[in-house]
Amino acid sequence: MNFMYMTPLFAGLFLAGAATIVGLLYWLKPPPRQLTIPSSLLWKRLLKEKRRSTLLDRLRWWLSLIIALAISLLMASAMGRPEFLWNGGDIFRMTIVIDNSTTMATRSADGFTRWDHALALGKELLKQGSVDGEFLILDTSGQLSSRNPTDRRSALGLLDKLTVSLGSSSRFPDYASTDGLLYFISDGVMIDEVPDNAQVISVYSSVDNVGITAFKVAPDPSDPLAYQAFLEIANASLESKEISMRLSGAGESVFSDTLTLQAGELEGRTIDLSGFARGPIRLTVATESDAFTLDDKAFSFLPTRNLTQVTLVSPGSAYLQNALPDRQNLMINSMIPEEFDNDVKADLYIFDRWAPQDPPMGPALLFLPPNVEWLSPMEAVVTSPSISYWDQGHVLMNFVSLKDLRIDQAVRFYSEAVDFNIKTNPEDHTDDSGAISSIHKSEIIIGTPELPLMVASEDPHKMIRVAFSLEDSNFPLQPGFPIFLNNVLSWMIDDQHALPGSLGRIEVPVTEGEVTDLEGEEISSSQFFGNTVFMANEPGLYTVTLGSQRIRVAVNLTDYKRTTVNTSSFSPEDRAVVSPEIFSLNREEASSGELWFVFIWIATLMVIIEWFTYHRRWTV
Amino acid sequence: MSEDGTLFDEEFLKKLEYLEIISNNMVPGHLHGEHRAKKKTDSGIEFADYRQYVAGEDTKNVDWRTYLRLDKLILRIFEEEADLPIYIFFDSSKSMDYGHPLKFDYARKIAAALCYVGLLNLDRVNLIGYAEGITQEMSSRSGKNQVWHAFRFLESAKADGNTSIEQAFKSFFSVRRRRGLVVLVSDFLDEIGFERALDLLKHFRQDLFAVHIYSSEELRPDLSDEVLLKDSELGTTELVKVTPGLLDAYANKFEEHCDQLDSYCRKNGWGYVRASTDVPFEDLIVQVFRQGRFVR
Repeated sequence: MNFMYMTPLFAGLFLAGAATIVGLLYWLKPPPRQLTIPSSLLWKRLLKEKRRSTLLDRLRWWLSLIIALAISLLMASAMGRPEFLWNGGDIFRMTIVIDNSTTMATRSADGFTRWDHALALGKELLKQGSVDGEFLILDTSGQLSSRNPTDRRSALGLLDKLTVSLGSSSRFPDYASTDGLLYFISDGVMIDEVPDNAQVISVYSSVDNVGITAFKVAPDPSDPLAYQAFLEIANASLESKEISMRLSGAGESVFSDTLTLQAGELEGRTIDLSGFARGPIRLTVATESDAFTLDDKAFSFLPTRNLTQVTLVSPGSAYLQNALPDRQNLMINSMIPEEFDNDVKADLYIFDRWAPQDPPMGPALLFLPPNVEWLSPMEAVVTSPSISYWDQGHVLMNFVSLKDLRIDQAVRFYSEAVDFNIKTNPEDHTDDSGAISSIHKSEIIIGTPELPLMVASEDPHKMIRVAFSLEDSNFPLQPGFPIFLNNVLSWMIDDQHALPGSLGRIEVPVTEGEVTDLEGEEISSSQFFGNTVFMANEPGLYTVTLGSQRIRVAVNLTDYKRTTVNTSSFSPEDRAVVSPEIFSLNREEASSGELWFVFIWIATLMVIIEWFTYHRRWTV
Repeated sequence: MSEDGTLFDEEFLKKLEYLEIISNNMVPGHLHGEHRAKKKTDSGIEFADYRQYVAGEDTKNVDWRTYLRLDKLILRIFEEEADLPIYIFFDSSKSMDYGHPLKFDYARKIAAALCYVGLLNLDRVNLIGYAEGITQEMSSRSGKNQVWHAFRFLESAKADGNTSIEQAFKSFFSVRRRRGLVVLVSDFLDEIGFERALDLLKHFRQDLFAVHIYSSEELRPDLSDEVLLKDSELGTTELVKVTPGLLDAYANKFEEHCDQLDSYCRKNGWGYVRASTDVPFEDLIVQVFRQGRFVR
């Protein structure tokens, strides 16, 4: 015998508990009533005779206890849904592959999602199986990795653990065994290749859906100060739909329109965002009876549209002059050192192998600056220094690898950066209140405290000092060099585009970052190899913050295949598909091994026996 | 006891007068003491007559001189002693302090009534209360004017202590007593049994009339489930799981106890009557009279 809703251990403990309670009730009786009689003479004589039948009396007591125990154990067992093992030796094997791709979240006409139907059907399948059979539950998104069969109760538990996978790709899991029954429960939208031996149970039903299949905010190629929103809307319904579209941004900026799309029609639009302020952009579409809502909204971020003036002072650097113009909203003013006027204001200064006598009025990137008063002096020239460390978690190093960086010559300068020392001796760098002192605003990005090769500081302006020239290294030849320049510009002008992301697991290259959604609500996150990981369960604009560093992630479900929820490869007319109605019929015809009702009947009978024997004083 | 706290109230006295009439009607003018003075028996003081000896009779009164002369066995007959005493023993142990009405009150009323009738008929009456021994004793009295003295004595009696009829008899008859009628009013719930005590009466050649008192609660106790029965005299307890079968068995045991006492008395030629306290005491007295033991 097995229990459907209890593990053997729990069932044992539960039944033992029930038996213990009954036993205690029998043993822990209240003290008997005391009554004074004239004389116990006759009672003693009577009881003396009665003691001859003490054994019989004990048997009566035990009979009563056994009946009570039987009742309690039967009722406790019935609660665990006991089942008999019907088959005699043949192991029943069943594999259920359940499709948990994103489109399974589509809501059917009955109000339940395709996933709800799939789970219910999966559980019904399990109940049909033999109690002592082996069951394997698999999913199309890889949430269940185990390929080991389990018992039915565990299989039911596995089904309860499964959820619709929002972002990851879906595929039919590798299933080599052909032993036993193989069922596949799916809507047939994301999965279309199924093994021949699989019996497909379709949960597909046609529904209405319109969705956003593409959404992107990008600069206008013809105007570096202008941004455009490119969007694509699809009508995946089986009939034409009137769709309300609304594009809203920071402040009061809103664009709305209504469009009519025929069944299966797709429309793309480009919308000028000149009237929108810097900040989050939200696109929503709405129509009557939309069954799949995850694709009805999409998010992005509109960065600043100001033209950034960059003053590049260099005796002549082809690397910098070639790399910088790729950024379209930059206005680069290149000059030789002699032409530099410290009173001319710029958003960003880049000094190549030169530095002014006075500190610049804004952020600056300096490659191998000479000795000037406002910079710490150079101490020595180092030939072919090795790159033993670079801060991969720093925003300047995002997507930048320095593994192949070679430097022919660099200078050693005194650096106030104590990034290494903070980790080993933090009390030396804190003020009286315990806060980290301002000296910590200098960080070694590349190099060591003994030989800092790149140091970033923020006091008073953001400044990056590089201890080697581009000409003395292969840094400009690295694939990450343009990315590095892009990171420098983003960090210095404090502006970023939103990183694109899909629903589900999001990994951001920030250590110990704090994740918030568009409403400022904190999202729980974890750390994975120095990256911040969080789950995005719905489209939105998420922000990962670490100090002054801020990374935005626009999470959208803009996927044409996911939006077209009516393109099922399993049609109800397909003979390979087992319709849920037929399945339900089979369920009713199937013999059940459940015994709970038998147990309840026996317990009821025992209660009657107990009542009868008690009132007949057979058991007292 | 009556509501005004007096055991022998006006109603009780009226019942006694009724009993007096009843007793006179049943045996007119011949109460025990007077009547037996005329009786001819084999024991006595004064010679009365001769009669033929019958085989099996005691040979102590055979007139051997006549036998030698006539070769016939002739018995001498004497007149019985007159005015033999009545010893009324009433049980005043703790077990009598039970029931509604109390067995002790009922026993005292029985004793009072019998005492009244005895004194009225000029018998000498002793009243003895006993438990483990003699607890109260009213010495021998005769004459109607002693009735109130007897009533006051009974009214002052208390029920306490264990029961030992044997001890009481040993104590009472350890001094020489005249042969008489012992009236024993008791519930006969004696741990060591009644046989040995009553055998003592045989030894002292006393006649006995046993009045067995019980309450209806004793016969059919109102018990259920599990109960701890405490002995009122000994203080011991017995755990009893009460069942209808056990209650039936107890009732049978009680009947058996009564039957044993009855048959024992019959075997010894003694009188026995038993009554529940629910029965009016005067009815019991009439029953006593009808048995012909107390009055003839």
